[in-house]
Amino acid sequence: MKVLIIEDEPALRSTMQDFLLNEHFVVELAEDYYSGLTKITNYAYDCILLDIMLPNGSGMDLLKELRAIGKDDSVIILSAKDSVEDKVMGLELGADDYLAKPFHLAELLARIKSTIRRKNVQFDPMIRYKNVSLNTEDRVVYVSDVPINLNRKEFELMRYFMNRPEKLMQKTTLAEAVWGDHIDQADRLDFIYSQIKNLKKKLKDADALVDIQAVYGVGYKLI
Amino acid sequence: MQISLKNYTLRYLIPGILLVMAIWASLFYAYILDEVYDNVDDGLKNQKIEIIREAYGNPELLETKAFGVNQFRIVQVDEKDYSPVNVFRNEFIYMPYDEEDEPYRILKTGFYAKDGKTYSLEIRTSTVEEDDLMLDLATALLVLYIVIVLSIFLINQFVLTKAYRPFRKILQNLQAYRFGGVNNLAKVESNVIEFNQLNTEINQMIQRNEDVFAEQKRFIENASHELQTPLAITINRLDLLMEDEDLPEKHLVQLAETKDAIHRMVNLNKSLLMLSRIENRQFQDVEQISFNDSTREVINDYEDLIAFKQLDLRLECKADFYVSMNPNLAQVLISNLLRNAIKYNHAEGVIAIEITQGEWKIRNSSTGLPLNEKFIFQRFHKQSQDALSNGLGLAIVKSIVDSYPGLSIVYSFENNFHVFSLNFKNS
Repeated sequence: MKVLIIEDEPALRSTMQDFLLNEHFVVELAEDYYSGLTKITNYAYDCILLDIMLPNGSGMDLLKELRAIGKDDSVIILSAKDSVEDKVMGLELGADDYLAKPFHLAELLARIKSTIRRKNVQFDPMIRYKNVSLNTEDRVVYVSDVPINLNRKEFELMRYFMNRPEKLMQKTTLAEAVWGDHIDQADRLDFIYSQIKNLKKKLKDADALVDIQAVYGVGYKLI
Repeated sequence: MQISLKNYTLRYLIPGILLVMAIWASLFYAYILDEVYDNVDDGLKNQKIEIIREAYGNPELLETKAFGVNQFRIVQVDEKDYSPVNVFRNEFIYMPYDEEDEPYRILKTGFYAKDGKTYSLEIRTSTVEEDDLMLDLATALLVLYIVIVLSIFLINQFVLTKAYRPFRKILQNLQAYRFGGVNNLAKVESNVIEFNQLNTEINQMIQRNEDVFAEQKRFIENASHELQTPLAITINRLDLLMEDEDLPEKHLVQLAETKDAIHRMVNLNKSLLMLSRIENRQFQDVEQISFNDSTREVINDYEDLIAFKQLDLRLECKADFYVSMNPNLAQVLISNLLRNAIKYNHAEGVIAIEITQGEWKIRNSSTGLPLNEKFIFQRFHKQSQDALSNGLGLAIVKSIVDSYPGLSIVYSFENNFHVFSLNFKNS
């Protein structure tokens, strides 16, 4: 999987790079409009992470260029301006997703994966880990090929875990990803605890070989 | 007592004119009287000369001992009582015509007749009736006074009403003016220098304030934007650090706590941005929003949380509540109010949303005391030491409400329920 990061802020660029390298992506970097333009015209990427405010030009223009030359690389817009207009404009120009800064790296990964999955027909919609498989298309979770009944939020949680098994998922990341900004921190941490408890029980009842392990005070891990 | 400027001068003019006219009337009266007596006296003196001359040629005249048709009398007096000086005096004498005593002017003098004897001569003539004169004068002046006051009043009414038209326009402009809002101030045209100055100064003052305010808003917006990138870097760096499998648990916990704190900052920053966007009117598209539908959608978002807290939510739609506003803002508005109702509720508490004609009302059972309605809509006001609240939720609600004319929100505390009612008047 090849990802291009077009971002002018060096610290942000390198963090994303480190993180994605860890996740076994091939990462390319561009730091302004022109270097970005060169890369997108000359190479193909599975996913382009595109900052809007760039030196010498706008990410929106790069997106236009990309589509103008007939390339359909997946594009996720990263914007410091969390504004509805930007989001709408970006999606109209053919971006696949929109992520407002600041974001969690786990969230970024989830977005990259689902964007690539959506674009790529040959891509297997199933994510598998041990005897559990998750169909991202039909939104069904199977344990040993038997579907289990999960509600919407439980499925979203499961999807996050399945994306990165054996990795720590922070409570705040999970809460934000699954419930959005609606819920205040104090409430949602209690809330997520009860949701995870239900999910664990359902997995256990279906004799799944996976379990969700709490990492004290920090988050959970799918093992 | 408050009084219109039009009539303000009258308060001083009425006694003022009265005083001036009184002083003027007394001087005028004294002057006229003086002139009248002078005239009468001259006549009497002239008569005296004619009588004395006549008496020389016709000694019979000396026998006129009493006032008769001639209106004079001559009395022989001793040498020692003789005085050639003219002495005038006033006396009231019965006048058959008027059937009452009337004022007479009497000249008394002395003369030597042809026979060398001394005589006293008294000549009288009817003179001005001072009391009548005074009364007439007073009446005339009273009428004049009333006419003057009335004229001033009427002229004030007509002229000043016309002259103050631009002033009233300025006042109306100021009344209609909303700070930081969209203002279409009526143009003020006047040929009164002061009003033009006033208008110019007010407009400049408004402009200066608006500029400062706009700059402040820009500052908040820019600061929030600038904060986003460092916050993103910090959060992502922490994420990376926490990926390290070898990290001891106590460090991991500390990192998670750090990240939580930064998250609070991110939320605060988002809220501040939201506020400045609302105030900068960046939510332009307006749709006819059904609060009935929006409320159901928002409730749907919070369903799990409501169930988790075992709250009893009742939605009662007795009428349709429509407001023309931005759909995102409508969502934020309802969502912030519902979130508070969930957050500041006790387990198994009640939330009741009631939609009636022109009113959307949310009530929730509470754990605490009534909130101070003076401050709850202020930024960063926190009722209690609530570390996880940024104190901007209701400020955002308020600024959304304020950006739509006709929309208003009121807080009240009834039977241990916090009540927020949103009212909309179609203007």
